[in-house]
Amino acid sequence: MTPDGSTPQVADMDPESRSELARQEQSSTDPSPETTSRRITGAAGGSALASSGTAPVPANGDAGVAAKRGVGVALEQLRAFYGDSEQVKGIDLEFRANEVTAIIGPSGCGKSTMIRCINRMHEEIPGARAEGRVLLDDLDLYDPAVDVVAVRRAIGMVFQKPNPFPTMSIYDNVAAGLRLSAGRRGDVRAKVESALRSAGLWDEVADRLTEPGAGLSGGQQQRLCIARSLAVDPEVLLMDEPCSALDPIATLRIEELIEQLKARVTIVIVTHNMQQAARVADRTAFMLDGRLVEIGPTQEIFTKPVDPRTEEYVTGKFG
Amino acid sequence: MSAHGASADGAQVGQLARFSVSPARRRKDRLARASILAATTVALIPLVLIVYYLMRKGLGSWSESFFTTDPTGNTFFGGSNIGGVKSAILGTIEIVALASAIAVPVGIGVAVWLVEYGRNSWFAHTVRFFVDVLTGVPSIVFGLFVYIVLVVGTGSTYAGYKGSIALSLLMLPVVIRSAEVVLLLVPAALRESALALGAPRWRVIFNIVLPTALPGMITGVLLAIARAAGETAPLLFTAAYTHETNFNLGAFMNSLPVQIYNDVTSPTTAVVNRAWGAALTLVTLILLLNLIARLIARRSRLA
Repeated sequence: MTPDGSTPQVADMDPESRSELARQEQSSTDPSPETTSRRITGAAGGSALASSGTAPVPANGDAGVAAKRGVGVALEQLRAFYGDSEQVKGIDLEFRANEVTAIIGPSGCGKSTMIRCINRMHEEIPGARAEGRVLLDDLDLYDPAVDVVAVRRAIGMVFQKPNPFPTMSIYDNVAAGLRLSAGRRGDVRAKVESALRSAGLWDEVADRLTEPGAGLSGGQQQRLCIARSLAVDPEVLLMDEPCSALDPIATLRIEELIEQLKARVTIVIVTHNMQQAARVADRTAFMLDGRLVEIGPTQEIFTKPVDPRTEEYVTGKFG
Repeated sequence: MSAHGASADGAQVGQLARFSVSPARRRKDRLARASILAATTVALIPLVLIVYYLMRKGLGSWSESFFTTDPTGNTFFGGSNIGGVKSAILGTIEIVALASAIAVPVGIGVAVWLVEYGRNSWFAHTVRFFVDVLTGVPSIVFGLFVYIVLVVGTGSTYAGYKGSIALSLLMLPVVIRSAEVVLLLVPAALRESALALGAPRWRVIFNIVLPTALPGMITGVLLAIARAAGETAPLLFTAAYTHETNFNLGAFMNSLPVQIYNDVTSPTTAVVNRAWGAALTLVTLILLLNLIARLIARRSRLA
């Protein structure tokens, strides 16, 4: 790891990578589906960068971030297993670009497993595997040519418990995603600031960036983790019960943040808290026993659901 | 309380009786405490005596020249200059340094493999089993093994580095086991969130897991070094014994434990006293290492 967030100088690069940088500048202002798929497989255009799992680095971090838009995700017959036990039993579901989709359902219904399949974290558990297709735009993330590292850079994840890296300062935590990946990083300092601003944390930590991230309060730590995910510039943000370890005020901050972030990323949030789903989600999906029961506009799921099981769950008859 | 009058006070006395400790239980409690204290005292007696004897016998032979001169062979006549332990201290440091340079990277590598990759595979279980077996092997067996393979086997003679190899074999299981325990303490959530940021696994290990586990691993390594520094058996017929200070690990090399072993059997009182001085030196060195290990462990983020 470099001790400081040094910017690679164009003059240091060989001619080939200089032209590559020029190409990236073009592509970063053009959020077409083609860009995304090229970024992940490296098949089209044969970009050496993409195959090494590096996101295109816009020359101007801030401008690139602002131009970014979320990308839709679709699940097709997604099934997930732990060893022989099937936890997700064939789900077809679409998460629309720049919308917040909430997943609700009783404990153990496969909500978390399902979203962990979207950024391919599910397979990190020994004995776990997934079948079916997960489409980011039109690209199947389970295609053998897809680099799993690039998938996770395009699809960020925020976990249940805030978990900043304990050995790192606030600054280093946010920069971690940029530094932990191979290749050029761009202007780390600008990206860290932009990510912290997006996570609504900049004003609180601007004067103590070198202090340990673990010294923040629980809510601040969770926003730090959100900033950490945003710093690598994802198109989709998965949130696995991001507020379950937080107090109501910190929860409110995160919910406001979700509202702001959806202009920039597509958000999928798993929650146990139905009020939370009602507050933040554009659409809500109800899952039961590894299957999708119903998905629709949040208002409708909570007021006039089609399926009687959804109605029983949202009115508190079980779960 | 007074507002309730006498009847309320009476009720309170009744409550107290209900919650008070019976005399029989008090007696049992006292007996149990006394026996635990007695056991602790019995265990402390030999420990204190050892330190007391070491100080009494060893401090007498400590002097500036004791640390700055090599031992000599002129030990038969009273008043002859028998020298100190300089070559033994330096030899121990050299041999143990090389042993650590071998055992620490290999041991931490094995531990990382066990925790991050091997996990519960049959091969990982086999490795753990052999590491456990290695932990229980008496130290003289490592010395014997190196003697057979590197001294007799090559038809050559004793050398400092052969002692280092014997000590590194001894340290290896200690390093592996302590590093494995600390690596397992690193929360899985940290690995997950680093992986979810798009970090390749090797970077997660180098940039997240190892830095988090570092203080704990240093503690384990220092304890392994402390153990190796006090071993005599693996060095007796690998590094052997010599008087001169030596910076060539390919030659015979003195060490504190071996010098103690040699000196203690001497008929000359001054030489036996030199052994006590060397023993106190060795204990002090190991105590220092342990102290450092504890200080580092206290700063650990995982403890």
